[in-house]
Amino acid sequence: MLKFFTRSNTYFLIEKIIRFINSIFFLILLVALTFALFLSPLDYIQGDVVRIMYVHVPSAWIGLGCFSFITFLSIFNFIFKLKNFFLISKSLAPIGLLFTCLAIVTGSLWGQPTWGTWWAWDARLTSMIILMFFYLFYILVLKYFKHQEEYAVKASSIIAIVGSVNLPIIKYSVDWWNTLHQPASIKITGSSSIHSSMMVPLLLMLLTFLLYSALIFLMKYKTEIIRIKKKNIKRL
Amino acid sequence: MIANFITMNGYGIFVWASFSIVFISCALVYIKTRKTLKKYERNFLLEVKNLPNQEKNRILSNSKIVQQILATSPKIK
Repeated sequence: MLKFFTRSNTYFLIEKIIRFINSIFFLILLVALTFALFLSPLDYIQGDVVRIMYVHVPSAWIGLGCFSFITFLSIFNFIFKLKNFFLISKSLAPIGLLFTCLAIVTGSLWGQPTWGTWWAWDARLTSMIILMFFYLFYILVLKYFKHQEEYAVKASSIIAIVGSVNLPIIKYSVDWWNTLHQPASIKITGSSSIHSSMMVPLLLMLLTFLLYSALIFLMKYKTEIIRIKKKNIKRL
Repeated sequence: MIANFITMNGYGIFVWASFSIVFISCALVYIKTRKTLKKYERNFLLEVKNLPNQEKNRILSNSKIVQQILATSPKIK
């Protein structure tokens, strides 16, 4: 199965997927924005400000998801020593950083009208800031060991594995501590407390962000493959 | 109705700022990523183009991935 993840097997697919995403992206974005800004109802307490949820929540999910994925890939890389896992992690990290920053900024913009403050050193917010720093360390390490790939792989994997300790803290911070941040409204197991009229736009925005992330990831991954091939062109 | 949509009952500044920040950041990242990819593709094509013919043919026959890069990259001028 691991043979499937070799660069030569995936390269041709990448171009096809990029074209496919490009062809459907704007249509899905338009539908998602229509739902998020026009069709979704107002919250009975928060009013229109609840619409920030449609960009804040998917951003936070993608920020967390990317780091979880990077952690798994780092562990697999330690076990299987497959360079491709490192390239995938390297391409995912900037996307994770972008969406973590966006979750923090949009959360702050949501906090001001609902909590009366831009920022509080609350457990959920602080753990998200820590996640952002882990992403920054990860990317800085990759830049620092740009010409020593072996060190870059080891150091970045260690950062990802250490940083993964923060992931359950982010998830359960709202249950473990008294926080300004509300508890989770959407649960994979158990019933969600969000109405379907708000759930649909949320899922549509999530789909849009996922497609965008896939697009950026594939372009970054393609760049990495070309960079490696260019470096080793004489040895091909 | 339009004014109401823009002001969003006084919350417009927060809602529009959130959506704008997200979409502008995403657009900037997209442009930068695409620009970098195009630069690497161009440099790679130039490198292959400048190789002696024998070397070029050897690489093309040996590396499936180089064939794919050349097949999917835009032609250089």
